[in-house]
Amino acid sequence: MDELLLSKVRLGVVAELLNFDWVTFSELARSLNVSNGNLGAHMSKLLDAAYVEEEKTFVNRRPLTRYRLTKRGRDAFSAHVSQLQALLKEAT
Amino acid sequence: MERLDAAQAREHLDLIDRILAESQPRLCSGGEYFVVWGIAGAVITVVGHLVGAGLVAAAVLWCVPAVLLASAIFSVVRARHRQQVVTRSSLVQREFFNVLVVTLGLAVIVNVAVFRIFPGIAGAAIWSVAEAIVLFYIGLHGNRRAQMGGLIVVVSLIAANFTAQNAAAYVLAAGMLVGFAGFGIGELIARD
Repeated sequence: MDELLLSKVRLGVVAELLNFDWVTFSELARSLNVSNGNLGAHMSKLLDAAYVEEEKTFVNRRPLTRYRLTKRGRDAFSAHVSQLQALLKEAT
Repeated sequence: MERLDAAQAREHLDLIDRILAESQPRLCSGGEYFVVWGIAGAVITVVGHLVGAGLVAAAVLWCVPAVLLASAIFSVVRARHRQQVVTRSSLVQREFFNVLVVTLGLAVIVNVAVFRIFPGIAGAAIWSVAEAIVLFYIGLHGNRRAQMGGLIVVVSLIAANFTAQNAAAYVLAAGMLVGFAGFGIGELIARD
């Protein structure tokens, strides 16, 4: 199992990014219903593992941070889901 | 290494299913591009016909590159702005914009650089075909307005083929205005 994706928040982030090119930090926090501080800590781990890439820009002089899934993150997610499904299959 | 049991694995898979179900990306076509390029296509078609028929001075043809340039500048500026302010940008959306740019880009190249093979009305017909491809691509994602727009453009192409030669350009231009620009207006109204 991918230890990084055992966290529900990090798993949720990767699932949220799966169908999207870019998603902003605030949109991720809103859709996953987590605090900015909590999400920030999880995003750092995903960034360190190169599962996501980050882009920081300014829109109307306000900072905007957005993320997208890397190929490494996509592959890790696919493998993780396969392992979860295998685990369920074993148990039934 | 931390392990999950079957119940936790089920919980995680349910979470993924829920997120994917809620985040189904919708194809937002950006109606303004269709309005601008639909009008541009119609204007270029009619101007080309009027100049070809000798109804206006050849110098009027200079408005063609001006219209193309203005439309291209608008599209680039608008796309950059959208990219900055949008909170989610889906992969389907990116694919759609790639199809839009490649299809209309090729139509522009054909009109600007292959005019000896596709002279006069043929260039306009190529433009209509490109517009129909873009509309049907959106239509394939379940957008009925786009399906209708594509149909209108194709019907205008067929109608132009059977119309008197001096009226064919107007029929094609009408298809571009109603089918392509009309679709854009419909999208803008639906968005608001």
